Amino acid sequence: DDDTEEEEKAAKRGSGPDPGHCSEEDEEADSDMEDGGKTSTKHPEDEMELEEDVEMGSETAGALRWKEGLAQKATDAYLRQQRAAPNLRKLVYGTVVAEEEEDSKDEEDELGGLFKVSRPEKNKRVGADALDCSRFQPDSNHDWDQEEMLASIIDCFVTGKWEEDK
Amino acid sequence: MEFEGCSCFRQRLVLSTVSGKRVKIRNIRSKDDSPGLRDFEASFIRLLDKVTNGTRIEINQTGTMLFYQPGLLYGGSVEHECNVQRSVGYYLEALLMLAPFMKNPLRAVLKGVTNDPTDPSVDLLKVTAPPLMKRFGIDGDSLEIKVVRRGMAPDGGGEVHFSCPVRKFLKPVQLTEPGKIKRVRGTAVAVRVSPQMANRIVDSARSILNKFIPDIYIYTDHMKGVSSGKSPGFGLVLVAETVNGTFFSAEVMSTPQGQGDQILPEDLGKKCGKLLLEEIHRGGCVDSTNQSLALLYMTLGQQDVSKVLLGPLSPYTIEFLRHIRDFFQIMFKIEPQKPGDEERTGGEKVLMTCVGVGYSNISKPLK
Repeated sequence: DDDTEEEEKAAKRGSGPDPGHCSEEDEEADSDMEDGGKTSTKHPEDEMELEEDVEMGSETAGALRWKEGLAQKATDAYLRQQRAAPNLRKLVYGTVVAEEEEDSKDEEDELGGLFKVSRPEKNKRVGADALDCSRFQPDSNHDWDQEEMLASIIDCFVTGKWEEDK
Repeated sequence: MEFEGCSCFRQRLVLSTVSGKRVKIRNIRSKDDSPGLRDFEASFIRLLDKVTNGTRIEINQTGTMLFYQPGLLYGGSVEHECNVQRSVGYYLEALLMLAPFMKNPLRAVLKGVTNDPTDPSVDLLKVTAPPLMKRFGIDGDSLEIKVVRRGMAPDGGGEVHFSCPVRKFLKPVQLTEPGKIKRVRGTAVAVRVSPQMANRIVDSARSILNKFIPDIYIYTDHMKGVSSGKSPGFGLVLVAETVNGTFFSAEVMSTPQGQGDQILPEDLGKKCGKLLLEEIHRGGCVDSTNQSLALLYMTLGQQDVSKVLLGPLSPYTIEFLRHIRDFFQIMFKIEPQKPGDEERTGGEKVLMTCVGVGYSNISKPLK
């Protein structure tokens, strides 16, 4: 069976921290029916995986066990990404060139060399006419009904734990 | 300086005014069905014109291009009818940035919408901005934001008084320790609806926050008659104050009449409580609404090092940092600060450091 093979494989390698992540050899072993499920789990984490690929090399995990402890794995992946410490200065100040490059794309749509097709801009240069508002929308990943979230800020209050020197 | 599009409209004009550099903004909604500047932007430009002297503004016929040559910041008594498409907070945020650098202390009367779901409301700015401004040496009795009459979206009819003293220099600041939250205050607003709405909001907000801290007091503000404006509505503003004088704030306003589904007061209270928790999770020494105000004051401070610990930078703040670089050639040092393993104090923080440009208010008269 493919299934049992998969599980054994995973056990041999030791359970990898992120099963949404799969190497080439893993994909070969997959049967067709699993492909759909696998790709859908991969998708939202694509961005993280780009970074993780470099770190973890060919480390993989069982294909069928991807459902187990998803929340825990997402948390782990999130923390790993946080630890990767992006260069904030570059993020803030270093993107000017990238923005300007996008402009040149939409100059092509011309009818008979006379009329230009004017399309509402959806993806391109969303920023140019964006709403001018200083409000910072909350992170949608934070569910404040969860006990863990509540516990994560408990020391912000005078009722929480104080540092030694105060 | 030249820009495209109407995003960050206020930032550009405010920075242009303090730096004295003229700006040209092209292609304002040039591909939109109704191109050009909107009424609220025109209203904003008129307000800038009122507080300055000698400002030159040119707008082309379709309104898709704006040329702005800033004049001197004059101040004094100003009365302005703010366009109701945006709330007074939209206009007030810019005035807060400009007010300390006027020739005469600013006394502004702003009329329009005091609370709407889009912009930070006057009530929120009233409790968060002045304490922050005091850190930079802008203090005194005359620093005040007062809601005289309330006016909900969409029709407004509210009135806000704002006065601010002028300063020759701003003090550099070192805000690195937010401190622990000692109390939560709030204002539940209800106009032209049953006063009971405010009480229902208060109860539900308390149910969220009581787990953390017992010292919660939420005022109910029910205005009647002429002071209640033209539209009905309700909402809640919550503020958490730390022992070191940092204020975290959150607010939720009801959907304006005739613009979609109404929200129940109970849900609104809960939502606002959770937003406050989110804001506390972000943390830092300045709440997310006032990040750019603090960064501007740091930039314009004396030629000395200023440090401020912030929560994650909001998209608006990131744009603001880019504009500060364009106008003042100042780049901040941005260092992520991770909380310790044992500390449960929310998310990652960012330490912002810069050396001020040594801006001095040359128009302030010597006495």
